[in-house]
Amino acid sequence: MRNRIVILLVGVLTLVLLESRPAYAMHVMEGFLPPLWALVWFAVAIPFWAFGLRKITRLVHEQPEMRMMLGLAGAFAFVLSALKIPSVTGSSSHPTGTGLGAILFGPAVMSVLGTLVLLFQALLMAHGGLTTLGANAVSMAIVGPLIAWSVWRLFHTRLPMWLVVFFATSLANLSTYVVTSLQLALAFPDAVGGFVASFAKFGTIFAVTQIPLAISEGILTVLIMNALQQNAQAELHTLGVVRGEN
Amino acid sequence: MCNALVGCLLMPHPAVGFVAFVWMAVLTTLWARIPTIVFMRVLFAEVTFLLVSVIGITMSIQLSPPSDALFAWSAVGMWVSVSAESFELALMTFARALGCATALNFLILTTPLVDIIELIRRIRIPDVLIEIMVLLYRSIFVLLDSLIRIATAQNARLGYHNMWSGFRSSAMLGSQLFLVAYRRSQRMRVALESRGLDGPICVVASRYTKDNRVWVLNIALTVSLCAAWFLL
Repeated sequence: MRNRIVILLVGVLTLVLLESRPAYAMHVMEGFLPPLWALVWFAVAIPFWAFGLRKITRLVHEQPEMRMMLGLAGAFAFVLSALKIPSVTGSSSHPTGTGLGAILFGPAVMSVLGTLVLLFQALLMAHGGLTTLGANAVSMAIVGPLIAWSVWRLFHTRLPMWLVVFFATSLANLSTYVVTSLQLALAFPDAVGGFVASFAKFGTIFAVTQIPLAISEGILTVLIMNALQQNAQAELHTLGVVRGEN
Repeated sequence: MCNALVGCLLMPHPAVGFVAFVWMAVLTTLWARIPTIVFMRVLFAEVTFLLVSVIGITMSIQLSPPSDALFAWSAVGMWVSVSAESFELALMTFARALGCATALNFLILTTPLVDIIELIRRIRIPDVLIEIMVLLYRSIFVLLDSLIRIATAQNARLGYHNMWSGFRSSAMLGSQLFLVAYRRSQRMRVALESRGLDGPICVVASRYTKDNRVWVLNIALTVSLCAAWFLL
């Protein structure tokens, strides 16, 4: 009898876990981090924001119309994160869109734009939070785009495009998950095994949903980039994503 | 609302979180007259998520049997245990996040974003950012509208009937949305330029009135949070 209850409980928990995780993606919830760590992650994010902001100010100064472009790009990232994508596990989930954004607009711009998107997500949909904005920005608006952009920059002339895009975006998604696990592990080290055990623990919790999700996002972004190449050559050219023929 | 947020963060005791939760729940439903169902629905999603996360904090996994644990289970050669210390930490985190989240919900459910942007303008955030935020906020709804219409059209044609076609449809949706966003921004540029825009976009701020009741509530809230911290 007792065994049955345990099995039932585990089943219910797994269901809840699988159901609630994807909806909230990788956001650290409001108030989840202790104040010290919340501050630390803000401090980590500030240099990147300053750099991104300088870049944006210069862009807007040179081309005033970039304002509209950036506003729409941010809205695009926001709406994309609200889009339901099919996951390889069969359920559906939401892409982070950071990889695509970084390829299209570059990591400096993405660090500021991504943070704004996170702020809007916190204020409009209660995903993430104000005090944890720093931590979320580091994992989603800074590290993810940086990795996607580096992979893209290093290989996009050498390997077939679909392969590079796939790796850039799935790695960006995966790195987001690794950084979030790291943040949680640092804030809540395990009572027995310390930081390493805690990292392993949070890592496994997230791995259940996040690895298939990274693959899905990779596939989806490859398809989007293909479609963009067919339909939006001129626009991509203006943004400087593709060089050559056009 | 800020008091509750800061209070929950700075005073590490579960009671503070729960007191803040009660305050915010009462303020949202009774004072701001947000329908209880809306409030509960938002809360329910957050609490399930929070519970799952907190379970991760309480449990530790090790190979040898634990020495001082409240509960312990063994399975396939490993021990899962809950120690008193980690249980306390988890309870603490749960209460803090609950208090903070309801405070944030109060803000979300009562304050239009335009007012929040006005607030951000007053704390001297660079103008470029404010402009981008205003444009971003406006564009979200324009794009969301396109997204919903495209998705409905795709659904009506069985665009999501299995996984692979779902992938294809999402990709088409994503790339079309990019084009919509790009063309919108071009048109907005043309429209604004033809009206002679060559600097920052200025918007007239709405007028705000002072309300003393807000201060009274604020002080009462802070005092009760401090009381919960000192007495317990």
